[in-house]
Amino acid sequence: MGIVSAVLGFCGFGVGVSAGLVIGYFCFIYFQPTDVTNPKIRPLVEQDTGSLQRMLPEIPLWVKNPDYDRVDWLNKMLEYMWPYLDKAICKTAKNIAEPIIAEQIPKYKIDSVEFQTLTLGSLPLTFHGMKVYLTDEKELIMEPCIKWAGNPNVTVAVKAFGLRATVQVVDLQVFVAPRITLKPLVPSFPCFAKIYVSLMEKPHVDFGLKLIGADLMSIPGLYRFVQELIKDQVANMYLWPKTLEIPILDPAKANRRPVGILHVKLIKAMNLKKKDLLGASDPYVKLKLTESKVQSRKSSVKHKNLNPEWNEDYNFVIKDPESQALELVVYDWEKIGKHEKMGMNVIPLKELTPEEPKVMTLDLLKNMNLNDPQNEKSRGQLVVELVYKPFKEEEMPTSFEESHTVQKAPENTPPGGGVLAVIVHEAQDVEGKHHTNPSVRLLFRGEERRTKHVKKNRDPRWEEEFTFMLEEPPTNDRLHLEVVSTSSRIGLLHPKETLGYVDINLSDVVSNKRINEKYHLIDSKNGRIQIELQWRTAS
Amino acid sequence: MGLISGILFGTIFGIVLMAGWRHMMRYRSNKRVAKAVDIKLLGSLKRDDLKKICGDNFPEWISFPEYEQVKWLNKELSKLWPYVADAAELVIKESVEPLLEEYRPPGITSLKFSKLSLGNVAPKIEGIRVQSLKEGQITMDIDFRWGGDPSIILGVEAALVASIPIQLKDLQVFTIIRVIFQLAEEIPCISAIVVALLSEPKPRIDYTLKAIGGSLTAIPGISDMIDDTVNTIVTDMLQWPHRIVVPIGGIPVDTSELELKPQGKITVTVVKANNLKNMEMIGKSDPYVVLYIRPLFKVKTHVVDNNLNPVWNQAFELIAEDKETESIVFEVLDQDIGQDKRLGIAKLPLIEIGAETPNEVELRLQPSLDMLKIKDKRDRGTLAVKVLYHEFNKEEQLAALEAEKTILEERKKLKAEGVIGSTMDALDEAVSLVGSGVGLVGTGIGAGAGLVGSGVGAGVGIVGSGLGAVGSGLSKAGKFMGRTLTGHSSKKSGSNTPVTSIQENGGAKSLQR
Repeated sequence: MGIVSAVLGFCGFGVGVSAGLVIGYFCFIYFQPTDVTNPKIRPLVEQDTGSLQRMLPEIPLWVKNPDYDRVDWLNKMLEYMWPYLDKAICKTAKNIAEPIIAEQIPKYKIDSVEFQTLTLGSLPLTFHGMKVYLTDEKELIMEPCIKWAGNPNVTVAVKAFGLRATVQVVDLQVFVAPRITLKPLVPSFPCFAKIYVSLMEKPHVDFGLKLIGADLMSIPGLYRFVQELIKDQVANMYLWPKTLEIPILDPAKANRRPVGILHVKLIKAMNLKKKDLLGASDPYVKLKLTESKVQSRKSSVKHKNLNPEWNEDYNFVIKDPESQALELVVYDWEKIGKHEKMGMNVIPLKELTPEEPKVMTLDLLKNMNLNDPQNEKSRGQLVVELVYKPFKEEEMPTSFEESHTVQKAPENTPPGGGVLAVIVHEAQDVEGKHHTNPSVRLLFRGEERRTKHVKKNRDPRWEEEFTFMLEEPPTNDRLHLEVVSTSSRIGLLHPKETLGYVDINLSDVVSNKRINEKYHLIDSKNGRIQIELQWRTAS
Repeated sequence: MGLISGILFGTIFGIVLMAGWRHMMRYRSNKRVAKAVDIKLLGSLKRDDLKKICGDNFPEWISFPEYEQVKWLNKELSKLWPYVADAAELVIKESVEPLLEEYRPPGITSLKFSKLSLGNVAPKIEGIRVQSLKEGQITMDIDFRWGGDPSIILGVEAALVASIPIQLKDLQVFTIIRVIFQLAEEIPCISAIVVALLSEPKPRIDYTLKAIGGSLTAIPGISDMIDDTVNTIVTDMLQWPHRIVVPIGGIPVDTSELELKPQGKITVTVVKANNLKNMEMIGKSDPYVVLYIRPLFKVKTHVVDNNLNPVWNQAFELIAEDKETESIVFEVLDQDIGQDKRLGIAKLPLIEIGAETPNEVELRLQPSLDMLKIKDKRDRGTLAVKVLYHEFNKEEQLAALEAEKTILEERKKLKAEGVIGSTMDALDEAVSLVGSGVGLVGTGIGAGAGLVGSGVGAGVGIVGSGLGAVGSGLSKAGKFMGRTLTGHSSKKSGSNTPVTSIQENGGAKSLQR
């Protein structure tokens, strides 16, 4: 009897529990409001000590650490922008998710999945400090501290087998401290080629997940487990030194590296218009490449000739054949006064087929304005031959290193030996007594190399690379670097001046393969020079 | 019995379990919301808040200036600067050269950059302030300071004189840049950006000019001309309320709301002046008044000879684009051989003018608008003017906008044809919808290359007398040469389009090219 009653009791308990859960669910949870209300925010000054105490661990980094900067203006901007961002992001998210959902649901025999509500809430993302690091490399490093404790409301309604269930995500909180590195820096907007993002610490994630109104995340233990799981997953992917790489520009293109050579043969001109009052004109041609810093070249002057023949050759380094053009202007040479323009024309390089010589006869124009009636007048013709030769992949001249990996030495290096590369980046605060036109003189094992002169500049940039082929590692050698200024005027007084020097021991380079550092110049007040050294070996 | 008690206990247990769950839900939810509130509060800490949190241990390095400091941004900027400078050179060249062309003063036939490099010194952002002055807009004020070492060489070509390179040295820019972001509900959330220089405090752009391989005196008055050009570009293009609107991200948006639009019409009657300063050696000054709101649209009165208490009683119509910040500038000048001398200048902020009611104002003339620079405090006399502000309704506004466009196009066309040297040459008040004729004077070299423009419609003949200096070649007069005298009809004429008649173009044209 006792056994039967106990068994019945157990059964009853089982039934009772289920019934109780159902009743309890309907009593306590079902009628809970599912919408998210905006929290009331009282000014901090009015808060009591208890809540202040609670806040202490969350005090922004800029309060605690002097090396973090306050970015209140950014927070304000985000705050004003937030309602718009909210709508924009939600709209985009819906647009992306809907086709995917439509494609997936037939597989699982689900009738429909739809967003009931989708909003990011009223609380914006906040930056709790920003820190930047300065290094000698071509990169920008910043570490914002991002905290988003929002009140978003994402409700997804799933219909299947005639039943309807909702899954709701509320109160999402994400705190991350990413390191954002912009590198390499390049001389075209937006001035960096790639963004690297990695997390310096495991992120903090917290949220409420309501399944048919019941918050699963409040089951003791489960929350902690899920949180750890998410943290570990994210950490596996992006925790430093793992990074997320976002390419922005093609670095090769962004650096405007040369991609080819244009050979120009200036042949002759015909029927030029007379400009001089007495006798024929004295024509010469100025050749200029658009969008390049290379100076224009001038042909020789053919005196008293309206049908001059030059047969002169010129070469131009091309950086972007799509947009660059060759500008040819014929001038009349004068002994006194302004040289008068006799006519001009422009050849866009995209009109040329690579590797194919093309002889062009150009009508000379007054200017490049097509509608100018003055262009109809005949000013003569100019005959040129052009060949555009793009560099082949392997002969691409490797300008200074972009990646931080050291290149391999060329194949003909002797075993055990290698190539020592010296890259002279820039100097700061070099100053001469009489003139400051700095250039760098390198002395290594008796070999002397020089960089270009930078005129009148205390903070010159050279960015020049020099290589030395060596039989064995330069373990016991030194590199002597000297910043020299030469007078721009021809004069006997102070023709040359040393602005400072530095000796660099090369043994570190051999063991480190690459060193990029700023050295203080000796015999200089404040001068510093940034030198990159690389030891390239075959293996 | 066991069954019933089992069910009963079970039910109670279940309910309690659920109640417990709900309790946990509440607890966790409250905790999260509390944290969210904390984060929000800590995200925008003020001084008082921080005082309360830190108590006596208030961190000394923290301050809360109106313009927030951005040390980190400056660090980044100085590192990035060489690359930005490289990238910006091309962009600047392409965008500024057409501007220079448009605002080029008469007397200069070509103004171009022959070399432009921005130097090694990065600009500094002294502070940033963000506010939302209007729904859906964010206003960001950037305190921008640049004492750079750029190397800017302008290739200046003037009539008859070979091109001389002029170097702009020691450029210093101190200004507050106002950037307004127009928000949108599409990514990237910003539909347009408005850029302007805040006029209070006035943007300071200092530089010294130096001719390379020659002297600045080779073209008389050239430095004044360049100063004038730079000044006009800055005040007429950039200085608030003038602005540059840049639409962003492929969303087609109506940016017309952001553009500066004619807001109202001001009828100004220059009545008379009293006690002007005598600037001439023999006799008395020959005063006239130049008045403008935008330097691009200047108008002037006729000259009263030999009089220090002249009476003009001439009416003009000017267009106001932003009543809040704009002002009318009255410049009293003495007509003279060579450079016209300034007798005094006065400024009348539009905000002081009551709408739709005639105001009579007596203005004190000053030697210069820049109060800091005034050395001599002596009285320069007074100027009596009558002003009437009329606010446009929608149709009038559109009409005014159209008229303004036509005028600018007209000028461009004329310029392309080589009739006038620069858009600045044609001085007319056609903005005010009055289709009176426009007299044009080219760069007058020689004895006052004058021409007569005849008024169309209004029937008021206008005699534009060339202000060219007699036989003085291109003297400093170039600055005011080619500015036109225009007569005026006080009533609106029938046609909205100003008809420019060029009857005689004399030597001016041929000498100009």
